[in-house]
Amino acid sequence: MGRHEPADGHSAGEIASGQQVDQALQIVIGGLLQGSVFAVVALGFSLVYRVTGTINLAQGAFCILGALLTYTLEDGFGWPVALAAVGGGALTGVAGLVIGATVFVPALSQLPVSSMLIMTTGLLTLVEGLVLVIWGSQPYALAAFSGEAPIELFGLRVTSQGFWIAGMAATVFTSLWYLLMRTGAGKVLRACAENPLAARLMGISVPRVTLASFALAAFIGGLGGIFVGPITSLQFDTGRFFTIFGFIAVAIGGLGSFVGAVVGGLLLGVVLQLAAGYVSSLFANSLAFGLLLVVLLWRPNGLFAGGLARRSDVREEQRIYPPIVRLEGRRAAVLAAVALLGALLLPELVSSESVMSSLVITFILYVALLGLDVLMGYAGQVSLGQAGFMAIGGYAAAILATNYGWSPLAGTGVGMLLSVACAAVLSFFTMGLRGNYLALATLAFGLLVDSFAVGLTETTGGPSGLVGIPAFALGPLVFDSTVKMYYLLVALIVVLLLLLLGGMRSGFGRALQAVRTDQTAASALGINVARYKLIALCISAALASLAGSLYAFYFHFLSPEMVGTPRSLELIAMLVMGGEGTLIGPLAGAALLTLLPTVIQPLATYKTFATGALLVLAVRYLPGGIYGATVQRLRHWAAARGKTS
Amino acid sequence: MSATALEVVGLSKTFGGLRAVDGVSFAVPHGSLTALIGPNGAGKTTLFNLITNFFRPDAGEVHFYGSSLARLTPGRIAALGLVRTFQSARIFPGMTTLENALVGAHLQLRAGPLQQMSWLPAARREERTLLARAEALLELVGLARARDVAASELPMGAQKLLEVVRALMARPRLLLLDEPAAGLNDSETAELAALLRAVRANGITVALVEHNMSLVMGVADQVVVLDAGKLLASGTPAQMQADARVIEAYIGIDEAAN
Repeated sequence: MGRHEPADGHSAGEIASGQQVDQALQIVIGGLLQGSVFAVVALGFSLVYRVTGTINLAQGAFCILGALLTYTLEDGFGWPVALAAVGGGALTGVAGLVIGATVFVPALSQLPVSSMLIMTTGLLTLVEGLVLVIWGSQPYALAAFSGEAPIELFGLRVTSQGFWIAGMAATVFTSLWYLLMRTGAGKVLRACAENPLAARLMGISVPRVTLASFALAAFIGGLGGIFVGPITSLQFDTGRFFTIFGFIAVAIGGLGSFVGAVVGGLLLGVVLQLAAGYVSSLFANSLAFGLLLVVLLWRPNGLFAGGLARRSDVREEQRIYPPIVRLEGRRAAVLAAVALLGALLLPELVSSESVMSSLVITFILYVALLGLDVLMGYAGQVSLGQAGFMAIGGYAAAILATNYGWSPLAGTGVGMLLSVACAAVLSFFTMGLRGNYLALATLAFGLLVDSFAVGLTETTGGPSGLVGIPAFALGPLVFDSTVKMYYLLVALIVVLLLLLLGGMRSGFGRALQAVRTDQTAASALGINVARYKLIALCISAALASLAGSLYAFYFHFLSPEMVGTPRSLELIAMLVMGGEGTLIGPLAGAALLTLLPTVIQPLATYKTFATGALLVLAVRYLPGGIYGATVQRLRHWAAARGKTS
Repeated sequence: MSATALEVVGLSKTFGGLRAVDGVSFAVPHGSLTALIGPNGAGKTTLFNLITNFFRPDAGEVHFYGSSLARLTPGRIAALGLVRTFQSARIFPGMTTLENALVGAHLQLRAGPLQQMSWLPAARREERTLLARAEALLELVGLARARDVAASELPMGAQKLLEVVRALMARPRLLLLDEPAAGLNDSETAELAALLRAVRANGITVALVEHNMSLVMGVADQVVVLDAGKLLASGTPAQMQADARVIEAYIGIDEAAN
């Protein structure tokens, strides 16, 4: 028992190794095993989606939680394998129960679907952060349930763990089917899925049933992680791979369909293993992403249409909308002038180089956040792949400037063009779809870019990153110090803010906001919904790309983890915390999450956890963000003062 | 001018086994105020959704000032000057009353996003013009004081009036109103009637679905009666009030029960 060498969960080699003739068969078996795990995660997705209409992106986090709990029970407490696995699964179910009861279910009745999605990204980050705090960042592997010796079957060698995985997946599927179709509890659950209002009228406690299904999905996810644990590497952030591949599986199979989840999972597993076995794992990841896009375009409802079509075409019932925050006229101008003066004087007041550097990072991220705010805060489209565009901008500019001697400005421009092109492709595939497909396509896109950044070692430097990137320059002006970068960014942000404020305070911004809340009414007024979504996505991609380029030029270094999916999720947290749809607010979110860990060093370990927790809290309790709350407070204060004088 | 604003010919739509709209034909003369009435489930709202292509008809045609609307998107139809409202006021939450009104003028804007972002004088001027128009219209319906309030916080009646204002901001040639008086109290209904007369006086043709008979009889030039998806009768309000079939459909004497 104990730690194993980290193994790559996405390569076929270790599961299937045998005679050349049997190689294809071995790979297919490996694919089916991997697919079984995807299928189990996908079942959890479908279960929660069917009952709540929400795609729970935290689903994969339960896999890693279950596996690591099992590891601790086994390794730390000396429990036998079977008992540890049962204990790990049960504890994951309890964790699901707690998260469901305190966060997920109460929020369900108050938040629009897109906010629920954002909240589940917060939950994913929160659980990842928790795992990081408890287990650290090193990889783990569970001991195989029945020894490491492979089993010979018709001349093929299959790891004994493979039988455990297949057995578990089959058991989960049949039990779930039996529970839903043959028991009274299942009937109640289906009633809640199909018509919550009618179910409530029949005396069913819908929240309780929702909670039960959320916890059940967590338990199922935990089982998936526990059983695949012995043949994969487990790290605090492995959860999001379970989430993304489980989601791709369920999108292929059909959201809400249980048969679809299983078929989608197995299909995805086999395709991935074949691609990885015969070409490369980089190709496999691209193929998974390509498969998702093709399904979204060709059969948006998946191969097996979900058990019921959730009526996403109907306007959502009255939900909580963020307060409207508008600072008008003279007061806004005075505040802006004061803020600008403060920003210009700040380098004179701050002596610490690390704080100055954090300010530069805050401003760089704020540039990306301005784009995200146009997309999410105004147009209401969720992007979980903002860092993917940062990566494109960063790598394109850095490679062109470092290896080909291009000017940094030209490289930055090329990066922005590339990003906008990618955004247009993503938009083409998702614009006809309602719901949160853009969010999921962008999430997959971010992971794809990440796998290119890691995989194209010769161009990008691979995981260890790209070094020797020159400083940003505009002709003879070279921005080779933190203070110079600081002033460049202040100037850039002033220009961007003027442009975006001009757009958002006129017809453009109104059209985006109309698209955000009611696409039907918007199109009845002649607003071309698809066009405005496209423009918003392109602006967001261009600004993220610009931020990515500046990031690379500032650090003279760029590695995949600087612009990976955690960065995307962090940007969402900053945006929501600062205040969506305000343009100014995200600066507060960026400053909070960048400066605090710098100023208070011990916080760094808790950063992921805190990011997730703050995001969940902000979505739930601070709909206008820090900025919205501050402006409202100011307004009350002004009103109160006006009354007394 | 006595042109026909809207001509509906043999429009049909079936949902499952239900013939929601069954071969309905009628015309809305230019400059008139036409009311569509009928019992619940008669197919009035479906008819509106068919005219504006929110649903695709199974059969039939719609002509707007002589040109066919077949296969045009709702947005294109709005661009031609046929603007509609919805049965449940679909104001945009998260925007103020004034901003909601301004969204209606979307198609009037000449400046594109780039010009607006660059603060071009022409774009700003355009905004100011629209602002003045929106404020005048809000004043007309008594919503001027609520201009900076979140539209979703307005009472239902005010939201419905706001939706009419928003549609008017689009400078429609024909305004389709789906139950504008539903949820309005008596004084709000009176304001609506005044607004509708003012709209017609400005040369805008109006067609509305409405249950409020006193409103219909007070403002309509022409009444079209639907029952069970079919056209039952059409004529002046006075004619319809005297029509035995109409009275029967409304009072609900079921022939099958006899």
